[in-house]
Amino acid sequence: MAELDTARQSLTLKIVYYGPALSGKTTNLQRLHDLLSPELKGDMMTLDTRNDRTLFFDLVPLGFRAPSGLLLKFKLFTVPGQVAHDATRKAVLSRADGVVFVADSQRNQGVNNGEAFDNLARNAQQVGLDFERLPLVVQYNKRDLPDIFGEDEVLERWDRAPWPVTFATASAGAGVRETYELLLQRLYARADEQFALQAEHGVGIDRFVSLACATEGLA
Amino acid sequence: MNAPQDLAAGLEFDRAYTLGSFVEAIDRKRLAHALETLLGPEFVLEDEHGVPLIAGSAPRGALPAVPLMHELEPIGRLSAACSPSELAAAAALMQILIAAAARDRMTAELHLNATQDSYRALAEKHAALEASEARYRDLANQLEQRVKEQVRVIENAQRQLFQAEKMASVGQLAAGMAHEINNPIGFIQSNLRTARDYAAQLRSVSGPVKEGRAKEAAALWERHDLDFVLDDFSALIDESVSGAQRIARIVADLKAFSSIDTTGDVVDLNETLRIVVRLAQTQTAKHALIALELDALPALKGDAGKLNQVMLSLIQNADQAVTEGGAICVRGRVQGDWVRLEVEDNGCGIPASVLPRVFDPFFTTRAVGQGTGLGLTVSRDIVAAHGGHMEIESRVDHGTKVIVLLPVARA
Repeated sequence: MAELDTARQSLTLKIVYYGPALSGKTTNLQRLHDLLSPELKGDMMTLDTRNDRTLFFDLVPLGFRAPSGLLLKFKLFTVPGQVAHDATRKAVLSRADGVVFVADSQRNQGVNNGEAFDNLARNAQQVGLDFERLPLVVQYNKRDLPDIFGEDEVLERWDRAPWPVTFATASAGAGVRETYELLLQRLYARADEQFALQAEHGVGIDRFVSLACATEGLA
Repeated sequence: MNAPQDLAAGLEFDRAYTLGSFVEAIDRKRLAHALETLLGPEFVLEDEHGVPLIAGSAPRGALPAVPLMHELEPIGRLSAACSPSELAAAAALMQILIAAAARDRMTAELHLNATQDSYRALAEKHAALEASEARYRDLANQLEQRVKEQVRVIENAQRQLFQAEKMASVGQLAAGMAHEINNPIGFIQSNLRTARDYAAQLRSVSGPVKEGRAKEAAALWERHDLDFVLDDFSALIDESVSGAQRIARIVADLKAFSSIDTTGDVVDLNETLRIVVRLAQTQTAKHALIALELDALPALKGDAGKLNQVMLSLIQNADQAVTEGGAICVRGRVQGDWVRLEVEDNGCGIPASVLPRVFDPFFTTRAVGQGTGLGLTVSRDIVAAHGGHMEIESRVDHGTKVIVLLPVARA
């Protein structure tokens, strides 16, 4: 999306949490909403969940104002993970600036993870995103559960992939912020290239990440 | 950044909405009434550009205002002349309304996006299916056409092969016949040359005889041994006549065999079998004796030339199977509604492993060039065309019996 609204002096960046059903995308957003206290934080919009299943999307708006006065707005979305909602997933993914792929660490979810990732690649291509260049972080969630893929195993599997892998237990808030931070770091370069964040708005990568990820204590 | 191909037609569900678009969804009168009740007649609800959306019955400028936020940004403001706490409470209610409206709008638009996308995907799939259906229909039509062409090619080739097979057996027959005809022609020619000399000798006596020179005539008669000449002359003529008759009969048999003269389609098997056996006898490679055992067979409807071809082909096979001086027996019997023709030999026989395949096209155990492998195939087809069928019995080293069963046409 990366929409620069010159009239409102705001730049909106769209971040999408993607992944198989029940892998913890909504939980990631809820915890981020709890944990982060950037300058601006809107209410979390959670839409029509049925038995903990997202039907449409969740949305958390976060933001801060650059020294230049530009409002940097981050809109964090989740997609519905269930296979049947592919059209909705595509619509939400459309015009994303960055993606967090939330995988389920449980061994019996390996196939679902793989299918969801293929689905992401295919849908990204279908909505006109350059998947090779799309800022993406892979998060292995639910590290607290038994019978999960070991970290070495996961890292080895993703060794040749160009995307960083993080580990999280979103239900306890662990690794959620780190994943988000990592994505922001990867996302910055393209945003800076396009909107001269450093040159025109005085926002370098460190400021960008720390302001976007500010917590209560740091704010 | 990138043009959203899928949603290019519609609007993005997550675009920046205006306060106006949210208020649109709410019953304006009820909202105005509720706000007026809460704030008094002096209130204004404006969008971010200061355009009034809803106003009380007595609005005025420069009222205390509270911004209304959506997604971190102000999208309008509510101003009224009431107490700040009342205004804040009303603004909070407005925020709740805005959140609900935003939720509503986004969900509805996302649903619309998704539905349009699904519909478009379905329409594409439908078009693709239609295209592929058309392609298959095309292919099916072409296939039918191609099969027809192939059948035509195969039928043509088959006809040519059957013709070739016929020519091969006719060729074999012709070679035998040439030999048979050459013999009498040879001695007839030699006899005629001798007869010409005899005529010259007789003419030499004619002068003295006519002029009454009896002595001279007698001397010449004696010298030329004209008594012997006259005897031999008639013997030569008799021999030549019988030779010519032999040739005539062979030619007649050949004509009968090939049914050049057949009129109508009634076949006298008694006659044709005799001719075939007679023709075959003249050309057995191994000097096998061909016996003919015939009941009085009823006339059949059919093609005499083709049936002759079958019987000759079977006799030729038998001839190839026997050793020097072997025996071949051709039988014709009536068996109920059927005429049963048999060609039996005491030759090498056919191994059981080969027997089931002998009617297969191009199956041959003979050396390349020695047989087309179509003799029995063609025979079977001819017999089948006459409503009959063929059977074959064989024992290795004991001989083979080929049975042709033809239905007797009922009047």
